[in-house]
Amino acid sequence: MKEWYDKINDAKDVETLEEIRIAVFGKKGVLASEFVKMKSAPNEQKSQIAKELNSHKSALMNEFTAKKIVLQTEALQAAMKAEAIDVSMFSTKSQAGALHPVMETMDRIVEYFSSMNFAVKTGQIVEDDFNNFEALNLPKYHPARDMQDTFYFKDEMMLRTHTSPVQIRTMMSTKPPIRMIAPGAVFRRDYDLTHTPMFHQIEGLLVDKEGTVSFANLKFILEDFLKYMFGDVDVRFRPSFFPFTEPSAEVDISCVFCKGEGCRVCSQTGWLEVLGCGIVDPNVFEAVKYKDVSGYAFGLGVERFAMLIHQIGDLRSLFEGDIKLLEQFQ
Amino acid sequence: MIVTRSWLEEWIDLSGITTEDIAKTFNSIGLEVDRVHEFRVPKKIVFGKVLECEKHPNADKLNVCQVDIGSSVRQIVCGASNVRAGLDVVVAVLGAEMPSGLVIKPVKLRDVDSDGMICSASEIGLPDLGKGILELDSSMGAYKLGDEVCNYPLFNDDLIEIELTANRGDCLSIRGVARDLSAAYDRPIKEYTTSDNDEKRGVGRILSLTHEKDLDVNLTYKALDLQELKIPLLVKLRLAQIEESRECDVEAMLLYVTQSTGVILRAYKHEFFCEKGEKMAKVILTEDENGYACIKGKEIASVVGIIQKDASKATNKNGTILLEASYIPPDIISKKMSESKIEAGPMFYKTSRGSEPELDAGIAFCVDLIEANSNSTTYGGKIEHIKNYKEKIVSVTKQEIDAIIGAEIDKIVVANILKNLGFDTSKSTTDNFVITVPQFRHDIVNKQDIVEEIVRMVGIDNIPSKPFVLTEANRLEDNYFEYKKRSIFRHRAAQSGFFESVHFVFDEKKVLQKYGFKTTEESLELLNPIVQTLDTLRPTLLTGLLKAASLNVKNGYASVKLFEIGSIFSAKREESYAMALLFSGEREAESLANAGKPQKVDFAYFVQKIADIIGAVELKEYKTQHSLSHEYQSAQVLVDGVVVGELFRVHPNVEKEYDLDVTFVCELDFSKIPYGLKIAQKRSKYQASFRDLSLIMPKSMRYEEVKQAIEACNLPELIRFYPVDKYSDASLGEDMSLSIRFVLQSDEKTLEEEDITSVMDTILEKLKTELGIGLR
Repeated sequence: MKEWYDKINDAKDVETLEEIRIAVFGKKGVLASEFVKMKSAPNEQKSQIAKELNSHKSALMNEFTAKKIVLQTEALQAAMKAEAIDVSMFSTKSQAGALHPVMETMDRIVEYFSSMNFAVKTGQIVEDDFNNFEALNLPKYHPARDMQDTFYFKDEMMLRTHTSPVQIRTMMSTKPPIRMIAPGAVFRRDYDLTHTPMFHQIEGLLVDKEGTVSFANLKFILEDFLKYMFGDVDVRFRPSFFPFTEPSAEVDISCVFCKGEGCRVCSQTGWLEVLGCGIVDPNVFEAVKYKDVSGYAFGLGVERFAMLIHQIGDLRSLFEGDIKLLEQFQ
Repeated sequence: MIVTRSWLEEWIDLSGITTEDIAKTFNSIGLEVDRVHEFRVPKKIVFGKVLECEKHPNADKLNVCQVDIGSSVRQIVCGASNVRAGLDVVVAVLGAEMPSGLVIKPVKLRDVDSDGMICSASEIGLPDLGKGILELDSSMGAYKLGDEVCNYPLFNDDLIEIELTANRGDCLSIRGVARDLSAAYDRPIKEYTTSDNDEKRGVGRILSLTHEKDLDVNLTYKALDLQELKIPLLVKLRLAQIEESRECDVEAMLLYVTQSTGVILRAYKHEFFCEKGEKMAKVILTEDENGYACIKGKEIASVVGIIQKDASKATNKNGTILLEASYIPPDIISKKMSESKIEAGPMFYKTSRGSEPELDAGIAFCVDLIEANSNSTTYGGKIEHIKNYKEKIVSVTKQEIDAIIGAEIDKIVVANILKNLGFDTSKSTTDNFVITVPQFRHDIVNKQDIVEEIVRMVGIDNIPSKPFVLTEANRLEDNYFEYKKRSIFRHRAAQSGFFESVHFVFDEKKVLQKYGFKTTEESLELLNPIVQTLDTLRPTLLTGLLKAASLNVKNGYASVKLFEIGSIFSAKREESYAMALLFSGEREAESLANAGKPQKVDFAYFVQKIADIIGAVELKEYKTQHSLSHEYQSAQVLVDGVVVGELFRVHPNVEKEYDLDVTFVCELDFSKIPYGLKIAQKRSKYQASFRDLSLIMPKSMRYEEVKQAIEACNLPELIRFYPVDKYSDASLGEDMSLSIRFVLQSDEKTLEEEDITSVMDTILEKLKTELGIGLR
């Protein structure tokens, strides 16, 4: 019997073990034949032999079961090892596409103002003189109306030069209070390293009862907005001039590249101009026949925001569908 | 506008204020600083006097000078042609480090010792004043020989370039800028006092002014007998600093005064207005043929505020001249210029933004300057044409000011700011500021303008931010949902592998027409396109995407997937939103997953991508209106039975033109793509069954016919059917085998084999009778 213990122990695989099982426990196996032999043994020895055989039977069974688990585990382990993969070979990049950085920046801006309860208004690209200029306190002989700056059509219509006409259209078609932004494409006749004939703007307008809207309110929302967009930056307001606001200001943030130390991007000033804003000029309200109201307005260039946020150097590359640039935003 | 610190200090006391602080103040009061530049002459450059000047024994072009530098007399060899005895000069003494890096050492020049260098302006770091050494004169003020020049303001100056907004014509002079600083620092402005050395001989003896029309123009004339006019160094240097050097001395002098005071000045030859042999200049103010106010003698001498004719200009250092100061309201000439444009001179920029109306201040300054730098004499008195200025009065309460600013501003602060800016507030009452606007502030007309002045002087950064208190309202309207819809489809396209691309809404008419697109009607076309390749509005997004694809292929991308959502325009120039997608070349990048051999995009793969983005699509055979498409692989795209656009393989010739591999595109009318909430349909709880039929049908037969025949059976158990395999070989000849999968399901029970067989038999029967096709 002894040898079978060794055989079980020495079995190298599940198949050999199974052969041993049949040789030991099978109908014609060792145990069966020993029990047969026992029948011819003297009666007084029978119970002793049976006891021994039964003891072997259960001991061998235990050995067998234990060994089987070991061998099965080893076999599975070996099978899995055979399936081993060099995972490092499978490092990969996204095969998805990506949103355009300018459009994605526009989305972020819209998201901010939407959550601040501003309505989104879009308007139209081909505009008339009244909405694009006249109503915005840009009289006929204003220098900004120069042919150099505006794309005109043969029928005296024009491509909007800013998103401000959307404000006029909204004011003409609804009653105050108004709280809106106008995102969209605008057009200027300018094409060089830092200008493209089409770019995107977002303008904001708030109109409420006279005496309720102040410059302090404008400061509050723009400071908050710029920190949302650019993180922890300093914000500076400089008085400026726009025909449709009075008082007007330009808004600078501390340079995001040099943290205000002075670098090439900020022309060594430590500041980057990012916004124009002001209190709506009474002439604008007069043009849309609003009475007893006050309001503020602001406007920004989306490309400039996108270029500063994502540190994109070349404005024109934004309009080429260049995957070299776009795949970086996957 | 460029100012220098020393120039400003002639008009306002800036002691104790750093230039950095001045620049900061400019920014905070709305005069945006573009550039700050320092003029610093190095140490060891001193004032000297040339005592003797003799020709160098061995060199024609050199002179040997004895130069008094206070402490001693040095021998210096100088090559400048203008060096001469008696001249006051600047001398770099031994050890001086020049801006060029040169260090002055004792040298021998052709055997003659030279102990230092007599310098030109550019050699000591000042702007170039032309050939030769710097000649000092009394305009410098008093100086001591041997003193280092860097201790004198003119040689230790700062330049600040400010960018003025279009409304601030009043700041186009040093005096105007000083006035703004005066309000910012609450320091008084130094007004100029004339020395009035006029002769008894009155100007009336040689000049008469008549006006043919009562024009809105102010004119003041004085007359001078010029003699040996010399431009002082101060004037020459400052004009060079602001990059406005002038060849003509008279012109330089006038420009300097205009730059200082803001008053527009012109000098005329006296004889230009005289009849032959006459001494009386007859100056006429009238209108020219375009309606511009002009000054005339025998012919036109100048157009007021716009240009002076060369023939009338006084340019000599000697002779009788008429000096004219003029003012014309800026809105009058801007308006005139927009109606009928004429050639304008260099002063037009100033006059169109508003020049200084206080003419006497400018003309007196000019006369004094000329007298100080020549032996000229000035005729007594002046001749003028002055229109009465109708005072502008704006009234605003403290409450109104506070409400617009959003903070309380002290009344005294407000009054002081206005006073320093030249506003008269003497008519004010306790609660109401009644403000008389000075004539030079063309930009101030209403309350808001006054508040702007307060805001910029108080400093916006000193106004505390305050959130606006609003009434809640639902502001999610149609425009927002349209925006949201674009956003959702953009995200889906990007997630499906497409890169978002943005292109100009312009395109090239010639190219569009070549491909058969309808472009903007001629009468509605762009008047002034920026370049010929962008000369019309785009009627399609596809050409932009094809161009972009071409660029990417050139950049080495074998797989190009792009999309754009943007505006396109009909021939009638109506704007609408389109969504276009392009898929070119390989389906994906090479990788282990595709064993380095990615398949190319094909019709089925592209359509699947489109369906992933916009939902289930149905395709119908279609011929596109344009010629970008492969005629046998073009489809109309329908969603929920509505046509939303077209989808096709790009014509092989076009692929070749753009250097593209196999390319598919799809353009959709964005408004037609369904968007909104989905309604869940009731689904049967019983199991669905699947059956495939392989039909033998002629290759020429369209699937559409098969589909219609099956649909016509009207079988309620038939949920869906779709082709899954297509096969043809030689043994089939003109036929092909098409496998169609049928999905069968009942709302009432699990379908038994016999139910299914009955449905399939009905279909086969229909196909046989209707189309004559059947199983293999």
